[in-house]
Amino acid sequence: MSGERVRTRAAITGLAALTAFGRGESALLDGVLSGRAAFRPVDRFDVSRRRTTVAATLAGGPVLIDELTWAVDRACAQAGLSGAARAETGLLLAIHGDPDAARADPADREHHRAGAMAIRLAGACGLAPRTRTYTTACVAASTAIADAATTIAAGRADRVVVAAGYLVDCDQFALFDAGRALATDGAVRPFSAGRTGLLLGDGVGAVVLESATAAEARGVTPLATVDGWGRSGDAYHVVQPRPDGVGLARAITAALARAAIEPADVGYINAHGSGSVPSDLAEAAAIGRALGPAAATVAVSSTKSAHGQSLEASALIELIATVLALRAGALPINAGFLGPDEACPLSVVTAAAARAAPAYALSLNAAFGGANTALVLGVGRR
Amino acid sequence: MTEPSLTALASARWPEAHPTGPPPPVAGFIASTFSPLVAHVAEMCLRQRHHEPPAPPERAERTAIVIATTTGDLTTAVAVARAVDTAARVGPLLFFQAVPNAVAGYIAARWGLGGPVTCLSPAAGPDDALAAALEVAALLIDDGDADEVLVIRADQDPDEPARDSATALLVRGHVAPARPDARPDPADGPDCQGVQP
Repeated sequence: MSGERVRTRAAITGLAALTAFGRGESALLDGVLSGRAAFRPVDRFDVSRRRTTVAATLAGGPVLIDELTWAVDRACAQAGLSGAARAETGLLLAIHGDPDAARADPADREHHRAGAMAIRLAGACGLAPRTRTYTTACVAASTAIADAATTIAAGRADRVVVAAGYLVDCDQFALFDAGRALATDGAVRPFSAGRTGLLLGDGVGAVVLESATAAEARGVTPLATVDGWGRSGDAYHVVQPRPDGVGLARAITAALARAAIEPADVGYINAHGSGSVPSDLAEAAAIGRALGPAAATVAVSSTKSAHGQSLEASALIELIATVLALRAGALPINAGFLGPDEACPLSVVTAAAARAAPAYALSLNAAFGGANTALVLGVGRR
Repeated sequence: MTEPSLTALASARWPEAHPTGPPPPVAGFIASTFSPLVAHVAEMCLRQRHHEPPAPPERAERTAIVIATTTGDLTTAVAVARAVDTAARVGPLLFFQAVPNAVAGYIAARWGLGGPVTCLSPAAGPDDALAAALEVAALLIDDGDADEVLVIRADQDPDEPARDSATALLVRGHVAPARPDARPDPADGPDCQGVQP
């Protein structure tokens, strides 16, 4: 990290989430604390030719730009942002792309670029037309959070909105099915014996990040803080994670260093926990490598086991679920757990525990290309 | 307040001044020019700096990759949509190349680059896409997660591959005094010296 610069903490002052559990944050919180998963047969498109036929989907046919607009408006309202404040606030958006891009008339393709969607979203929500669109697969949203926190910490912006969205669609479903990445038994079982893969899930979210100083000046009490972040690459493979977890461990170590906390200070990890065999093995190795003895006792779960894998948006849904759980004084349950995998020596949260109120949590994510991120989230109990 | 400034260490672009053919294919990537194009400009750029893969470990571990593309891999996206709409088989290799991370992982593994991987999709044209990538490169260097960044801008014309274009820059950063007119917002671009995008 650079220099002796005085850095400002990034506070979360507003958030919103839409998942297969329903519209709003309470539905998500209830879902991840319940230990039940939101997977059900897909009826949004034809899955009769697919090996797997379930996903965590909302009923009906939600439209991505409309749901993103809802989420940003809701997060901004919770943060108490005036129209004038919104107009000065930039937007970082994490999406796979415009869902209509692949079927658009070639002459109209320019209007269906991912970046064009960010500009439309900013306009619809009254935000500044300063946008950046992240498409880094499963670390897109967490990278956006890290970059927003960096921008705020460096004093280059007082406030940034980060939004992300993915709604289960026929093309990605077909691709994941063809790649044999989807669970074959209708459940996502992170770190569990007998796990067979991931399942997709709807996820749309938004958070307002602003400097703790600016929030205090507005008289707004932060919901949580982004105290640390780390980004790294595996330098290992096109799509497989590095088995020894060295890359992800570097991201975790960087995040703890920025937060100025020790491994023992981490009370909960919302793991990437995709439910695939090699990914969970690599992540368990990374947690062990980065946290040392604390790795065996820190509570770990993956909320993907409940709300599914929302691709570019998943990290934001997981961040929101983590903040909600920390504030509620409870830990999300790792749904679908059948029994321990000795190669993943972690303390997995498998049932509703006594109240747990850690001061800090880690949210981890990893993606194709060996991209890794780690975020340290705090709820002011230091 | 300070802001980072970037110095270009190496560069490459496509089409080349005297092209001898399309970018060479990359094992595991099919049907689309996008990933081979990205891999090719990255290879040309990194060879200027490091000659042969892998890069020296002390530099490689802290070298990030930032890919910016306004179009994305449209050929792959259209091929998947067509297969889905006609109930044809979707090839498993298309799964692996459906996100730009995959070719970033190819470059990172080949050269040993262990810095962050970021993929962006700006709305505007090639010049703005490169500016967006350089802006994130400056952010990563300033924040301390990388010392050098391989910045790639690539855009694809799925109907006419001859119109594909790409630029690669390997940049290093240093913190310089802020310009007097620097605006305090995330859209502020870095200085990039020595290379025309």
